[in-house]
Amino acid sequence: MSLRFKASSRTLLQHPWHLLLTILGVALGVAITVALDLAIESSREAFRVSTETVTGRSTHQVLGGPTGLPDTLPAILRVEGGLREVAPVLEGWAVHTDDQGRPLRLLGIDPLAEAAFRPFLAGGPAADADGTLLMARAGSVFLGRELADRLQVDTGDPLPLVVAGRSATLSVVGVLAPEDDWSRQGLRDLLVVDVSEAQELLDEEGRLHRIDLILPDDGGPELEARIEALLPPGARLEPAGARDATMAQMTRAFDLNLTALSLLGLVFGVFLIYNTMTFSVVRRRRLLGTLRALGVTRSQVVRGILLEALVLGVAGAVLGVLLGTVLGRGLVQLVTRTINDLYFVVSVEGLDLPVAVLLRGGLLGVAAAVLASLPPAREAAGVSPREALTRSTVESRVRRLVPVAAVAGGLLLALGGILLGFTERSLGAAFAGLFAILLGMALVVPAASVAILRLLRPVLRRGIGILGAMAARGVETSLSRTAPALAALVIAVSVTVGLGVMIQSFRGSVVQWLDVTLQADVYVSPPGTVSARAEGRLPAGLDRQARELEGVRGVSTYRGTEFLTQWGMTRLVALGLDPAGESGLDLLGRIGPPGEVLEAFRDGEVLLVSEPMAFRHGIEPGDTLRIPGDVGTLALPVGAVFRDFGSDMSTIMVGRVAYDRHWDDPDLTSLGLFLEGGVHPDTIAEALRALAGGESPLQVRSNLELRELTMEVFDRTFEVTRVLRLLAFLVAFVGVLSALMALQLERVRELGVLRANGMTPRQTWGLVTAQTGLMGLVAGLLALPAGLLLAWVMIHVVNRRSFGWTLELDAGGALLWQSLVLALLGALLAGIYPSWRMSRTSPAEALREE
Amino acid sequence: MTSNAGPSRHAPWALLFLGLLVVGLVVWALRLSGGGEPEGVRATLSAAQAIAGGDTAGFARATEVRDYVFPRDHGPHPEYRTEWWYLTGNLEDEDGRPWGFQVTFFRNSVTPDVPERRSAWSTNQTWMAHFALVDIDAGRHVHGERFSRGAAGLAGGQAEPFRVWLEDWELAGGEEEFFPLRLRATHGEASMDLRLEEGHPMVRQGDRGLSQKGPDPGNASHYLTWPRMPVEGRVQMGDRDVRVTGQGWMDREWSTSALGEEHVGWDWFSIQLDDGRNLMFFELRRDDGLPDPLNHGSVSGPGGLVRTLGAGDVEIQVLDTWASPLDGAEYPSGWQVEIPSEGLSFQVTPRLRDQEMNTSFRYWEGAVLVEGDSSEGPVSGVGYVELTGYGEDAGTRESAPGSGMAPG
Repeated sequence: MSLRFKASSRTLLQHPWHLLLTILGVALGVAITVALDLAIESSREAFRVSTETVTGRSTHQVLGGPTGLPDTLPAILRVEGGLREVAPVLEGWAVHTDDQGRPLRLLGIDPLAEAAFRPFLAGGPAADADGTLLMARAGSVFLGRELADRLQVDTGDPLPLVVAGRSATLSVVGVLAPEDDWSRQGLRDLLVVDVSEAQELLDEEGRLHRIDLILPDDGGPELEARIEALLPPGARLEPAGARDATMAQMTRAFDLNLTALSLLGLVFGVFLIYNTMTFSVVRRRRLLGTLRALGVTRSQVVRGILLEALVLGVAGAVLGVLLGTVLGRGLVQLVTRTINDLYFVVSVEGLDLPVAVLLRGGLLGVAAAVLASLPPAREAAGVSPREALTRSTVESRVRRLVPVAAVAGGLLLALGGILLGFTERSLGAAFAGLFAILLGMALVVPAASVAILRLLRPVLRRGIGILGAMAARGVETSLSRTAPALAALVIAVSVTVGLGVMIQSFRGSVVQWLDVTLQADVYVSPPGTVSARAEGRLPAGLDRQARELEGVRGVSTYRGTEFLTQWGMTRLVALGLDPAGESGLDLLGRIGPPGEVLEAFRDGEVLLVSEPMAFRHGIEPGDTLRIPGDVGTLALPVGAVFRDFGSDMSTIMVGRVAYDRHWDDPDLTSLGLFLEGGVHPDTIAEALRALAGGESPLQVRSNLELRELTMEVFDRTFEVTRVLRLLAFLVAFVGVLSALMALQLERVRELGVLRANGMTPRQTWGLVTAQTGLMGLVAGLLALPAGLLLAWVMIHVVNRRSFGWTLELDAGGALLWQSLVLALLGALLAGIYPSWRMSRTSPAEALREE
Repeated sequence: MTSNAGPSRHAPWALLFLGLLVVGLVVWALRLSGGGEPEGVRATLSAAQAIAGGDTAGFARATEVRDYVFPRDHGPHPEYRTEWWYLTGNLEDEDGRPWGFQVTFFRNSVTPDVPERRSAWSTNQTWMAHFALVDIDAGRHVHGERFSRGAAGLAGGQAEPFRVWLEDWELAGGEEEFFPLRLRATHGEASMDLRLEEGHPMVRQGDRGLSQKGPDPGNASHYLTWPRMPVEGRVQMGDRDVRVTGQGWMDREWSTSALGEEHVGWDWFSIQLDDGRNLMFFELRRDDGLPDPLNHGSVSGPGGLVRTLGAGDVEIQVLDTWASPLDGAEYPSGWQVEIPSEGLSFQVTPRLRDQEMNTSFRYWEGAVLVEGDSSEGPVSGVGYVELTGYGEDAGTRESAPGSGMAPG
């Protein structure tokens, strides 16, 4: 035993680079999953902490419709409803003047009502924060110790902010220092102001966003009914957290997509580990043979290899977890930026490092290392004292396995097809199917490669001569090494192709959609503080004033609000559609000709629902939707489903007429201005800004600018995908590199023979290069259809089920041949070093093994 | 295979490649991220500082005898920091069962100036109210407190027609006249709806209504008392819903004063003797245990005559103590009181031992029975006693309303 370990550890120590390569292999695989997991978890956790801290100990919440709640409601609930724990909340977002990238949650509260809900917010002498000062002094703000330190302010200091596009300098009247971790985390991005301050900062006088309640346990449905009777129309009583849970749900599909990508990263990691462990066995075949000759048993050899894998796995996992946390820091920014752009604002302060995630990643790495070492360990056990026999034995066994693998792969592909074809909405099934297809493809690759090589062999013989044929044969005869490398390369390239085609298709569809949708020449909105979504409201009467401007021939008005409905968080859009902008609605399913539908829409006789909403809730044109309004309930048939790549949130569009019938909300979120020919957008922008005055800054964008901004957001959204695509490919590339090195290492003697028979180093180099290039070519050829299949699945199944969008598959352009080149180059690059080394091996040395 | 046949001689660049990959990833990650570590922190909150004091600068002070003008002075005086409408009383239901009640509306100006804001929630006024109802025979003392801002319909006060309220706890006058007052409040299973007549005319405490609480000028309050108000109405506790009659006591006091640093609390007595006399006196308890020369009180009625009691006129001896079940804090619970100038010598006994107000600042406020002798013969009566500075916050009144408050 001890001899074996000594031999084993000495070999490892004598080849520290190999040791490191193996560890790095594990580390990279682990790092990718850990990084993504951390990024997702951190953004979720940040959302959870900030919402739950803010939800506090409330049991229920009163939520409003589009216009929020009247701020007289708390008094009604207390006096008439006899409720004691009633806390008004008004929320918004602000940024520090010097740190505009990091959104701060502006929370307007009543300090005197807070004690039972969020005691840490109410202040107190020990916290150096007097809640009543917050109330009584205009412009006062509390913030947490951490945030205060980060912004380098303390009690008494001014805090320059930008809120709702306006500068506002508040004064820090207290620094909160809660004892428990939970509250402290919740305070990390929180600015606490009095509800009156929030109303004025956010331009929401007379309104509240919600009212938190703590209802007694014994209240039951009667109490709830009594409260509901006091609520204005459109307001609803919900269990605490219902809204936040619904919001958290919104990113589920997005998160799941990221998780799937991280799993893909791990698959490549496992492959990497498999290769490095195989390489390590191959390299020591002689040593293992010697050990076997000395009486070491097979099971001892297996155990030894597995133990080695375990040790390396642990080392790699530790390194991977460390690397993953570093990577995660970058990824979390990408992930949260996307969530901010698409869903809701969440501010992540650094990375959470939940032990569970780190452990899971680490264990996954160790398990993968041990599992991936099983085949090489078995191979090592098969090393007989007479080692020479083994190679061919292994190869013939592998060759017999090729058709078996192909059949298994075919079955997996079929299974994938069934999973995709026979489920309708399950995203889990979609990903399971996708992975089945990926694995199936990997298993089919060897057989397909053999077939392609056999087809190519005559061509190669004619074209390049004997060396070409030898190269092709070489790939086939050492399938035990080439097959995994090929499979990895095919998967890596097909995933690259698939993701590339998907992004390209998506982008194309969005561009097309923008062409249709962005009809107006100038768009006006209040300046967004933290995200690309339209928020806030325009100065009253701006639409009328804009209509009267010279050079403006039409104005469409837009009012968007988000609130909780039976369909979850829903965006309700009131559209005052100008005739000039009629073609701007991209209608999919509809109940009649577009002209009629739009007329009915404008007259408030039908409403429109977004494609994601229609998909998710099975809403068909002609169905009637009901939304409780301030005045009566809006009940209209669905006139059409409209395409909406702006968001996968459920969106309902109603004509302004219908909206005004049911809601007392004259506000506007944005305007679309149609200009007379020859009028420059800038002229209008200036005129509008003058109309709004300095008090209300406006964001005025030309059609082109808005289009660019939208595409910027789009590209940002896919940045994570792109990075992962690159990472996956890099990991696969490193895998191929080590596979080829193992392969070439084993062929030292074969090449030695060739060299001894007169092959020049240059020819040797050529042979090896041809072989790797051939592998790249084969992989590339196989990866194209595989990649397109993946793209198809991702576009029509995964994306549809995740977000509800239909996209046009667009595989045109440079993408496909680029991928082919990528595969070829990848293989060639990976082959450079092994072939260079082989060509330098002196025949005598290579043959000394005899 | 020997080691020199292995790739170890040349292979570092494979490692280099991987190393660069790792470094690249790390750099990329760092470029996108910031940093920030949490740190350890300390403790928080006391809810009670809602009504707490602070700086007196900018507030009006009670520096001289005030020309009271009614009904204006029934309403709030936001230019002073602290103000209250303090009602207590001993009642009896139709079965002769004794009850006690206390309802107090405290008003506090957080800052001297009203913030200039458009919001309906904007105010510098906070209100606190305390509620207590005692079913003496059942030994039940139900009490509670509320806070609200003086805005958005939550709490407030006005002189004409008179009304102070905190949510649905309300003390209101008539449409035309201040009296009769109607007091309505519910807390949990206890509620009261009482009508209070003026009864004995208003008494100006201290020097014609200027009650000195500290040695410095301005450390005083405007202090008015209605010491014997006929009460009738209903009280309810649990299943018991009864008509009651009795005698109430109302203190009206506003000030911007803080007690002296040396004061750790006070004992305040309001007593209605059955011979028609009403007594009020308080003792400021000093940290050095010496009697405070500012202690004072008054004797009023019958017939509206008012005599001031000075520091040396009242001698109080504690006969018994009671330990709070909350934390064992020890309160006096029974006194021997001598007022030779009035020819009075009597014992004051709590009608229920536990009438501790476990509110955000703790104190004992309870109905008492009086039994003793006057120069005319045996005398008895009822009253209310307030004891502060014995509970958890003893000696540190910074967080108590008392920093703006004084006995009365």
